[in-house]
Amino acid sequence: MIFNKSYLLNTICIFLLLTFSQFTFAHHSSAMFDKNEIRTLTATVKEFQWANPHVWIQIYIVNSDDRREEWSIEGIGINTLFRRGWRPNSFIAGDIIEISFNPMLDGSNAGAFIGAKFQDGKILGKWE
Amino acid sequence: MKIKNIILLLPPHIWINCLTILLCGSAMSQEIKTLPDWSGVWERYEGNGGMFDIATTKPPEGRAGSLGVRQFPPLTEFWEKKYTHNLDLVALDRLPDPISICGTPAGYPRLLALPDVYEFIVREEKTWIITENGPNIMRIYTDGRALPGINERWPTYTGESVGSWDQGVLVFTTVSMIGEKNTVLDRSGLTLSDQAEISTRMFLNEEGLLRAELSIIDPIALTKPWNVIRHFRKLPSGTRIFDYACAENNRNPITSSGKTLTLGPDGIPIDVNFD
Repeated sequence: MIFNKSYLLNTICIFLLLTFSQFTFAHHSSAMFDKNEIRTLTATVKEFQWANPHVWIQIYIVNSDDRREEWSIEGIGINTLFRRGWRPNSFIAGDIIEISFNPMLDGSNAGAFIGAKFQDGKILGKWE
Repeated sequence: MKIKNIILLLPPHIWINCLTILLCGSAMSQEIKTLPDWSGVWERYEGNGGMFDIATTKPPEGRAGSLGVRQFPPLTEFWEKKYTHNLDLVALDRLPDPISICGTPAGYPRLLALPDVYEFIVREEKTWIITENGPNIMRIYTDGRALPGINERWPTYTGESVGSWDQGVLVFTTVSMIGEKNTVLDRSGLTLSDQAEISTRMFLNEEGLLRAELSIIDPIALTKPWNVIRHFRKLPSGTRIFDYACAENNRNPITSSGKTLTLGPDGIPIDVNFD
C-alpha cells in the first residue's frame, strides 16, 4: 500500500484533532463556564438529549448532604459528535458513569462536558 | 451508396454546422475536464475556535470569544473603536453573536471559519459552498454573468458572487454583504461594513488542502486591503454530513442585554443570576 505523505499527515492531524481537542461551543459563548476548573463526579444518567445545537446529559448526583441533585451537562452538536463515534444511545438512562466537566462560574447545577467513563471502561470525550 | 459518398453530397452549410458542433462540444468537454475535484466532505483546517484571521490573532493560540483574544486587521481608527467596544462586550459575556439566536446565516466571509463540515459543489456554471453548521449556502456564479447593478442588489448574508475558473483556481468577487448590521466575523466581535468587497481565490494546494486566499477591501472599516488565508482538509471517504437545526433544542437563549442563559430540561434558567 502506497502512502502519500500529505495524506498521512492529514490523517494524523485528524486523529489528533478528534482524540485530543477540547470541545468548542460553536453556537454560543462559553463564558459561563469556569475553564480553569474541572469537576469529576460519579453520576447516574437520567436522560440523554441527542439534538442540535448541543447534546445534553441530564445526570443525578448525590450531594454532600446525601441528597439527590439533577445536573445538566452540555456537549457540542450531534453532527460532529457522531463523526467522533458518539451515537444516540451513547448514554442510556440508568447508566452509572464518572463524568468530568467545567462547572458554571455562578455555581449552578450545569457544566460543559469534558469526558465520561462508563463502568465497562468505555470512554467518551477526553479522559485522563 | 457508401457513407463516404453521402457525406460528400451534403451541402456546405450542413458541413459548417457539423464542424461548429464538433469544435464547441470538444471545447466544452475540455473545460469540464479541467474543473477540479472538490468532492467529499471537508472541515476547516485552522482552529482557534473560529478566529477568522489566524495570522494576526494574538495570542497566537487564542480562541474566539476568550478574554483578551483579538486579531489585528488594518482597521480605521473609527472601526478599531468599534472592535474594542465589542471586545469589551466579550469580556462581559455580552457580545450579541447573531448565530447564537439560531435563525440567521453566518454570512460571507465568516462561513469559511465555521465548525462542523463543508461541501463544495463544483459545476461549470456555478459553485456552491454548503456549510453543515448553517444555514449557509453560498453561490458563486461562473457562467459569465456580471455582478448585479447597484439598483438590483441589497445587502445579504452571503452577498453576490461572480467569478471564473483559471487553471483550476476559482477566482471570484463578492459584494453586497450585510456587514456589521447582522454579522460578525467571529466571536471576538470583529465586523466589516456593508461596503466591503472581497476577492477570493480558491484552489487545491500541493498538500491536498483546499486553500482560500481572500483580499478584503472596505473603504469604511479598513485602511488598506486585508489579506486572509484559510484552509480546509478533506475528511475520509464516506464521512457523513447531516442537518443542523440550531433551534431544535436550543437551551441557550440570549437575553436582551446579550447574556447567554442556560436552561434546564424544564425550560427554566439554571443560572443563579441573570437579567
